Amino acid sequence: MRMTLAETVARLRPVQTRPASSEARRSGAAPPGRAGQRVAGAFRGAIRRASTVTLVLYALALGAGIGLLTADYATRGGYPFGGVRVGAWTAWPKVGSLGADPYARAVNARRGEIPLTIGEGMLLTADQDDAGRALDAACTYAVAGVTPPARAWTVTVAGRGAREPGPAPMREGFTATEILRETDGRFVITLSPEVQSGNWLPMPRARGPVRLALRLYDTPVAASAGNLDRSAVPAITRGACAA
Amino acid sequence: MSPRGRFLVATLSGLVLAGLVHVVVVLSIPRLSETDALSRARSSEALDHPMPVNTVAAGDAPATAEAWLPIPDPSVAVGLCAYDLADGPMRVSARTGPLMMSLAVHGRRGAFYAVTDQAAVRGALDLVVLTRAQYDEALANADEDEVSHDVRIVAPDSKGYVVVRVIAALPSQRPAADAAVQAVSCTVDSPAEDAKPGG
Repeated sequence: MRMTLAETVARLRPVQTRPASSEARRSGAAPPGRAGQRVAGAFRGAIRRASTVTLVLYALALGAGIGLLTADYATRGGYPFGGVRVGAWTAWPKVGSLGADPYARAVNARRGEIPLTIGEGMLLTADQDDAGRALDAACTYAVAGVTPPARAWTVTVAGRGAREPGPAPMREGFTATEILRETDGRFVITLSPEVQSGNWLPMPRARGPVRLALRLYDTPVAASAGNLDRSAVPAITRGACAA
Repeated sequence: MSPRGRFLVATLSGLVLAGLVHVVVVLSIPRLSETDALSRARSSEALDHPMPVNTVAAGDAPATAEAWLPIPDPSVAVGLCAYDLADGPMRVSARTGPLMMSLAVHGRRGAFYAVTDQAAVRGALDLVVLTRAQYDEALANADEDEVSHDVRIVAPDSKGYVVVRVIAALPSQRPAADAAVQAVSCTVDSPAEDAKPGG
């Protein structure tokens, strides 16, 4: 819509002159104390008085605001799409490759992350147990079973968000070589705030949500993560929780 | 048009605009970001060995200034070599040892090649990252009688980085893993060196 300057000024002027009259009309119409009705009335009045320029500015502000906020929300923290659920774990097979979706690339760029590629290995993360409850630092969990075939793997635990300052915990994870196994090759890692026998993985923080990461290095399953069965990944079961 | 209709049209066009802004912002974040791995790796371009990004030895020593990985694996040493193929092809030479090693070549859009030490020929792994034109030139200049063990990879764009990962399966192997990352050499293959026989 094209307008001359004079037209613009003519349309803008009523905005400055009308408020007094509409104020009087509104205060007469709305009984005192009904705030919701008064706000709705003010809103209707604003719509009626809005000039084209105001509406264009409103549309631009709406577009910029919602666009920037949603873009920030979608690229903050974890990857929004592309996860493959395997039991309690989520695999992200494509985030490091040329076929990564734009959101995964934006997330990697914002975090400075160097993702594992399909030829190197695969990352699986878990932020809930097998029953779907979020992993909590106050509880004890058993991470038990087998892993998909890989030349090496590591299980690590971290709190969500940035790492807290201070000395690193004495143990943040296990590698496949370090772990103590049953005679049939299965293993049980006990993730607990209290000292445990066997493979004890201490909680990285006193409270709040935590997240497990299982990294498989040089694994044939990276190319076919969708075919993984939930019996091929360790099960996460919750034990006792401190109050 | 009624005032309400005009307001609805403005709201709808604002939402359409929001969609466009969202798409443009998400697509331009990797290009504009100054904290992504490619921008941070630029400072290592002058080095002839990988820049340490995650060192695993020295349990309670403070993390290196370069450590920016959000949640690094505490038992994997990571190093980066940035390359700019405008200076010439990039040669990455690694000697395999007892520890598992992997090399991945990342471009602007993501990783396009990865190899582990299992692909090494007689304990040596030589990658040459080059552009299409440099690849054609290397093929034309190649000596037919000489057997080359180089793995030649054509990069989709001229800037990127090579990631070296060495896995320390036991805490006692961590110093060796850091040393293995540093032992990898990343050099620019200059044309003069190419001309030398057996270079």
